[in-house]
Amino acid sequence: MSNELEILQRALQREKAARKQAEQILEGKSRELYLLTQELKDVNAKLEEGLTEKTSELQGVFGNLVDAYVLMDISGNVIKMNHSAEELFGYDINKEQLNIVKLIYKEDYEYAMTSFQELIFKGSFSDYQARVYTKHKGVRTVHINASLIHNKKNQPIAAQGIVRDITEELERKRIFEEQKKQLSAIVENSSLGIALTRFGKIIQTNKAFQNLLGYTPDELLQKEVKNISLKDEYEKSASNMQKMNDGEINNFSVNKRYVKQDGTIFWAKTNVAAVRNEDGSIKYQVALIEDITEQLEFEKQRDQLVKNLEKSNKELNDYAHIVSHDLKSPLRSMNALLTWLKEDYEEILDDNAHNSLNMLLKKVDKMDHLISGILKYASIDKVDHPKQNIALHEIVADIIDVIHIPDHITIEVATELPIIQGDKFRLQQLFQNLIGNAVKYNDKEQGLITVSCEQKEDFWQFTIADNGPGISKKYHDKIFQIFQTLDDKNESTGIGLSIVKKIVVLYDGQVWVESEEGKGTTFYFTLKNKI
Amino acid sequence: MGLTFLLIEDDEIERLKFTRVLQKNNYNHTLIEAENGEKALEFLESNKELPDLIFLDLNMPKMNGLEFLKILKSNPALRYTPVVILSTSNNHNDLKESYEIGIAGYIVKPLKYEDYADKIKCLIEYWSVNELIKR
Repeated sequence: MSNELEILQRALQREKAARKQAEQILEGKSRELYLLTQELKDVNAKLEEGLTEKTSELQGVFGNLVDAYVLMDISGNVIKMNHSAEELFGYDINKEQLNIVKLIYKEDYEYAMTSFQELIFKGSFSDYQARVYTKHKGVRTVHINASLIHNKKNQPIAAQGIVRDITEELERKRIFEEQKKQLSAIVENSSLGIALTRFGKIIQTNKAFQNLLGYTPDELLQKEVKNISLKDEYEKSASNMQKMNDGEINNFSVNKRYVKQDGTIFWAKTNVAAVRNEDGSIKYQVALIEDITEQLEFEKQRDQLVKNLEKSNKELNDYAHIVSHDLKSPLRSMNALLTWLKEDYEEILDDNAHNSLNMLLKKVDKMDHLISGILKYASIDKVDHPKQNIALHEIVADIIDVIHIPDHITIEVATELPIIQGDKFRLQQLFQNLIGNAVKYNDKEQGLITVSCEQKEDFWQFTIADNGPGISKKYHDKIFQIFQTLDDKNESTGIGLSIVKKIVVLYDGQVWVESEEGKGTTFYFTLKNKI
Repeated sequence: MGLTFLLIEDDEIERLKFTRVLQKNNYNHTLIEAENGEKALEFLESNKELPDLIFLDLNMPKMNGLEFLKILKSNPALRYTPVVILSTSNNHNDLKESYEIGIAGYIVKPLKYEDYADKIKCLIEYWSVNELIKR
């Protein structure tokens, strides 16, 4: 019994021990499992975190992409758009369905379909450029790069595209091209020859330049400036070029000769201007040339003409002096001989002879007046005295002093007379001839001559009025012509008023007369404020 | 004391006029006449006695008055003899050029003989009271 008990007890003991062992193993496994689970949990959490991170990163990229991003299924239904795409097309696919076909510009449809085929077969296309309809911005021109997205079985499931709006870029390009065209139209049609050079080498020319030189554009591109210049002249302008390179000057102008394709030479005015880089070094030189061969020829002719004119003017002036001298000398001899006849034969000659001799002397006298008058008339515009300030009231006072005024004639200066810039001799002649005439021809018992002046806009108007015999209207123009006299008095040569007219005309003024026969005459003349 | 004048004048009547003025005024001056510049120079260069005064016409054939004057003034022996121009020309250039070369006077011949006689009389009386270089 006790044995049995003992056995039982030992068996129980063993069983207990085995269970304990099993329990121990289970416990261990459990712990292992727990730990594993914990580990898995951690890994999972980490993975999830990573995924979220990546997703939001990608979202960020989409969102911040400047270019529009569009994802669509194979049928063209848009699945996804980034912010830029929404902005560009004006659609929100969360609110409305959008198929890409709806966006294709009608005229570009065919091209779009061809490109789509390319996408399907090749898996991508790039540099697609076409117009699209947008909801709010009208038709825009876009540039697209696209590619297919495949699943694991390599079947295409979607397509994605990066879309860039290039409408404005194109517009800018168009404007740029337009301006370029306008500029080249100006350059090409300019009558000035224009050439762009760099370091003496011709790199661009316009049509006028080619025509002037007689070369084709391509021939010119093979040339250097010195090939179309005369050697010594090229060296001369080379010094200017050096100054330009050194930054001393930015442009210069020379008259130089050019050698044409056929070897002939022409003169051209040449303006050279520097086009500089930012650092100030020369980028190009722009040369503008103008053919002045003809102009120079004209100038030469003109100079020659002026010289000839000066010469003949001088000759004429000398001629007047020589002729007057040659004519005056015999008159002096005649006067002397006539005077001697009268003196030496006074007793012998009868009254008749004396009369004849006196008449002869008078004629000699008149002849002398005529010659003096012609000389004066001829030289009035020849001798050029420097302009001075001339006080006309002094001039008139001098004249009244110098010329003989009979007692019955009064000369009155009714207004103030201005100070005028001019030639004293001419102004004196002018007043003296008019006042002198008024005195000489006055036929009234009480002669009255009035000198006055009135200021007009930019000139002075002078009047010299007398109460003399008057001048018939039919002679009002004639009296100003040379040798025209209305009087047969001996002293009357018909030169005085022609000198008056010549002086007034010389000073850009006018002279005219108003008169009533028997009552008097008023001479008017104008002188510019500045003469 | 009588002076010696050299009158250089191509016109015979002009020479007669001058002579008549001397005669009518009873001057005891001596008058030497030359028809032109060449003859005057010939006389001056050959004669030891120089005239006290030269009266010179400007407008003469061959050598004219100004040409004569230039030669005279460039000759050291002759340049101190005063020259008075007698001319019908009052041309500014003639006057200026004459004074530039060197003259002692310039008389414009008037038309009337009476006026001429007056002028010459004044002229001679003026020079009669002048001190002149004697050689």
